[in-house]
Amino acid sequence: MSSPDPQRAGGPSSRLMTIALVGAGVLVLAGGGAFYLASQRTVRPSEPGTIAVRVGDKSCEPMDLTVPAGRSVFEIENASNRPIEWEILDGVMVVEERENIAPGFRSQLAARLKPGVYDITCGLLSNPRGKLTVTASAHSEAEKVKPPLKAFIGPLSEYKVYLAVQSGQMARAIGALSTAIDASDMDAAKSAYAAARTAYRYVEAVSGRIADLENAIDPVATYLAGREQDPAFTGFHRIEFGLWREGSVAGLKPVADKLAADAATLRDRLKAVKFEPTDLAGNAAREARRLAEGPVISGDNLYANDEVVEFAAAVDGLEKPVSLLVPLVTEASPDVAKATTDAFAAVRAELGKLSGSDAAPIIYSDVSPDARKALAAALVALADAIDRINPALGLE
Amino acid sequence: MRMSGLVGASALAFILSSGAFAQEASLDLVEPIAEYKIYVSEKLAKLVEDTTAFTDAVKAGEVDKAKELFAPTRLSYEAIEPIAELFSDLDASIDSRADDYEKAEADPEFPGFHRIEYGLWEKNSTEGLAPVADKLLADVKELEGRIASLTFPPEKVVGGAAVLMEEVAATKISGEEDRYSHTDLWDFRGNFDGARKIVDLVRPLIADKEADFLKTVDANFETVDTTLAKYKDGEGYVTYDKLTDDDRKVLAAAVNTLAEDLSTLRGKLGLD
Amino acid sequence: MLDPKDLQRSSYHLNRRRLLAGLGATAVGGSLTGAASAETMHHSVADAPVANAASQLDSVPHLGLHQAGVVNGRPANGMVASFDVLASNADELEALFRTLTERIAFLTVGGSVPMLDPKLPPADSGLLGPIVRPDNLTITVSLGASLFDDRPWLAPLKPRHLQRMMRFPNDALDADICHGDLSLQICANTQDTTIHALRDIIKASSRQMILKWKQEGNVPVITPGPDGRAESARNFLGFRDGSANPDSSDVAEMDRVVWVGADEGEPAWAVGGSYQAVRIIRNFVERWDRTPFGEQERIMGRTKMTGAPLDRRQGSEFDVPDYAGDPEGKATPMDAHIRLANERDEASKAHIILRRPFNYSNGVTQSGQLDQGLLFICYQANLERGFITVQQKLNGEPLEEYIKPVGGGFFYTLPGIRDASDYLGSSLIAAARGA
Repeated sequence: MSSPDPQRAGGPSSRLMTIALVGAGVLVLAGGGAFYLASQRTVRPSEPGTIAVRVGDKSCEPMDLTVPAGRSVFEIENASNRPIEWEILDGVMVVEERENIAPGFRSQLAARLKPGVYDITCGLLSNPRGKLTVTASAHSEAEKVKPPLKAFIGPLSEYKVYLAVQSGQMARAIGALSTAIDASDMDAAKSAYAAARTAYRYVEAVSGRIADLENAIDPVATYLAGREQDPAFTGFHRIEFGLWREGSVAGLKPVADKLAADAATLRDRLKAVKFEPTDLAGNAAREARRLAEGPVISGDNLYANDEVVEFAAAVDGLEKPVSLLVPLVTEASPDVAKATTDAFAAVRAELGKLSGSDAAPIIYSDVSPDARKALAAALVALADAIDRINPALGLE
Repeated sequence: MRMSGLVGASALAFILSSGAFAQEASLDLVEPIAEYKIYVSEKLAKLVEDTTAFTDAVKAGEVDKAKELFAPTRLSYEAIEPIAELFSDLDASIDSRADDYEKAEADPEFPGFHRIEYGLWEKNSTEGLAPVADKLLADVKELEGRIASLTFPPEKVVGGAAVLMEEVAATKISGEEDRYSHTDLWDFRGNFDGARKIVDLVRPLIADKEADFLKTVDANFETVDTTLAKYKDGEGYVTYDKLTDDDRKVLAAAVNTLAEDLSTLRGKLGLD
Repeated sequence: MLDPKDLQRSSYHLNRRRLLAGLGATAVGGSLTGAASAETMHHSVADAPVANAASQLDSVPHLGLHQAGVVNGRPANGMVASFDVLASNADELEALFRTLTERIAFLTVGGSVPMLDPKLPPADSGLLGPIVRPDNLTITVSLGASLFDDRPWLAPLKPRHLQRMMRFPNDALDADICHGDLSLQICANTQDTTIHALRDIIKASSRQMILKWKQEGNVPVITPGPDGRAESARNFLGFRDGSANPDSSDVAEMDRVVWVGADEGEPAWAVGGSYQAVRIIRNFVERWDRTPFGEQERIMGRTKMTGAPLDRRQGSEFDVPDYAGDPEGKATPMDAHIRLANERDEASKAHIILRRPFNYSNGVTQSGQLDQGLLFICYQANLERGFITVQQKLNGEPLEEYIKPVGGGFFYTLPGIRDASDYLGSSLIAAARGA
């Protein structure tokens, strides 16, 4: 073109640069996070899998390297008698470099590399260049479909909305519970209790990790030295104990008030939690395992015996964050998406078996150890399926 | 070699760090988006409640009461229009205007708020409006349900501030929105509140870097507030024909400037 | 057998020569640039008119199997005018068609304006002076469904797919600029010529039809690149429009895409015609100008600067995007305008249309915004398979936020005027009499 379009010449140079660099093999991640990581991690001591490169007077050793795609750490040793720089080149573009390595010194360089063939410099400009072959890996396949960070903003905020709504419901139900206890209305108290528990189960994948509140809200007598008589026996199960075992609201008012205060704190704490994209699947998988190991085997609600209903709510609570990732997972790996959906169905099928002839859930003390183990196994299988989500999304 | 090194690493660092706009949206947006959804949900709950009362009045043939409820009911809808509009079928059935139909007011397809508005003000009657009212309430409830299960796209939320101003600039400043009732100033209130909510939610993310920008935007919102305040009447506003030409120009200029400024908000937050 | 393309080309030159002979010495001087540009003028419908190439002596033959103004390249100015027709029987309709034929024959060939007694109003508006030069003028006559529907003697002859333009979901149709019994598409190098033609026809047909609405538009004139390749013109959204148009110089392709053949199941009189879809599509340009550049490109599905597809940004507007290689819409979003309109697969070939749009700029809306947009015109052999199907695919596209169709109509473009003894619509009149 004899008269270049000024907008073309001046405007999008930054974009062109980005394109050029992506083409050159660097994955430009999350606002340069890769570069940040790459430079930061070099100060660490040698990691396992570090690739040693010895640069001599005339050449590198080895001259021909092969690494899988993704992050690789190179340790460059200057075995020559002049300061050197070491570069990974894609054509003329520098992908990564370490400058001014003094003779006898080592320097580390971490790079995220896309599959392809690169040159490496070996000391003096006149020295022959070595070859770096980057082969495709599971990692590079995941990187290909890895959603941008932006894609997680919607799901994470939606999950925060869910937690806010459910913890709000829980606080309201506990308010109703407190009122019913005040009025000695056993039926109203029991139904408010159940509503509060359902909401609590929905958020437990996150709230269960807030240890101080968890110990105030949901301690089980089994784990307390003095069991039901222990002063730390408070929260939900203390009220459950009163309503179902003792058949009385006596002494429950202060417990309910304290629970209401804790629920309000929980709501605020949930609001303040800062999530990472990995947390959505991570928390769900962790909670599925926790349920399988503890509550499903030994039972949580020793007095109301209504675990089957609560477990169903807990599974809904697990599915929420996972379902928010499903559109992304389906795109990245339809297999993983399907496995997750199937695993949820399998857990629900196990729960479905735990109903009596009238289709109402049977009381948990009547559930056999084998049936409990089967449910636990389904939950572990679910956790395993959910665990595949983050890698499939290129989240490490 | 040095040249290429310079082009490669240093230039990239420059682009990534010192650009005027965020290169990529950050997870700091999670909280504002979540807050916004809660805001929208509350507005929708209010919309369903108000629409129920409004359509009940229409169906009961209470023309005066229905007239009174028309503008306040719309307020919640106008505030969340950028999200409501994501469902174009519902937006059309709730809030389309006679111009959208070839036979205008006479078109049997003409539905929603403005169809009822036409009946109430032009005909001073609720005759034939019962099915329209039923449909409107059903659509509003459907909207609430769909939005509840919608994961909000961040760029739509942040872009929504500009969209609201665009709506006002393109088809409201003329007073053609509520052409029978002339309650346009209520709608403006909803549009401005909705836009300002979005700005306020993302404000902490850009407060340091974009102080001047926020100052300009705030000043324009202030201008709008001051101007609208002159026309306050009880809980609401006087009819649009009372707006003076001078004030209409002030509003138009503020709206255009806000539309212009807020159109950069997405870019500032790394959401192209 | 004679290739119709050659026929067209030879008659083009023939016309030009005849014209030069008729206009005398002053015109010959002017014709030199015109003649020199004749080859570069041979371009596709979507191409922008070539800068400095247009001449007042450019002439498009008005006789042929098909009407002019369909497969010819767009000149810089275009207009659609829609009329209500008064004719209540075949004789009156024939009279209208003969009037139109006569005016088209004069206006598109050119000549001296007859001088009348100065006590009378002049025969000609005089806009173009005493000698009317063709200026690349074409006048294309098409019929609306209402012409047939309102006349029992004509109704059985209505083309199969001709119908009143329906409302699509994003439309806000203004009845004052919709439909009509008869449309004229008038195109020329300059606006004076299109306006002159319209005024001439209104004057000549005032007892036979009444103007209902009109919309003018234009196409930006562009200097071709150093490789001599013409570029597609840009619309008011700043994007190239028409890059994917079929090649209008490919006669076989035009027979398949544009012209109604004997095998379409259409009434015999209609063979050689085409369906014309006209849409007046307002663009919200202020809002568009405030939309991020990247989003604009994703909405359209092309790069803005060059028009190259998004999956080969360094390419040109004529590169074909590889949607098969982008099944999830990572490069070109699934709902991008050009992707929805034409998936570039075998099945979508059936829906190809020939677009011939003009940009319009009318004034200012009540809200103080620019009233600008696209006078969209397209031609196809099957309206259902063509425009209606394509528009249905586009329903709900993200671009809808920035555009609002407000007017237009569906029409049937009459077959051509075969020779000097024929008149426009003669096959329809014969059929109406025979029926």
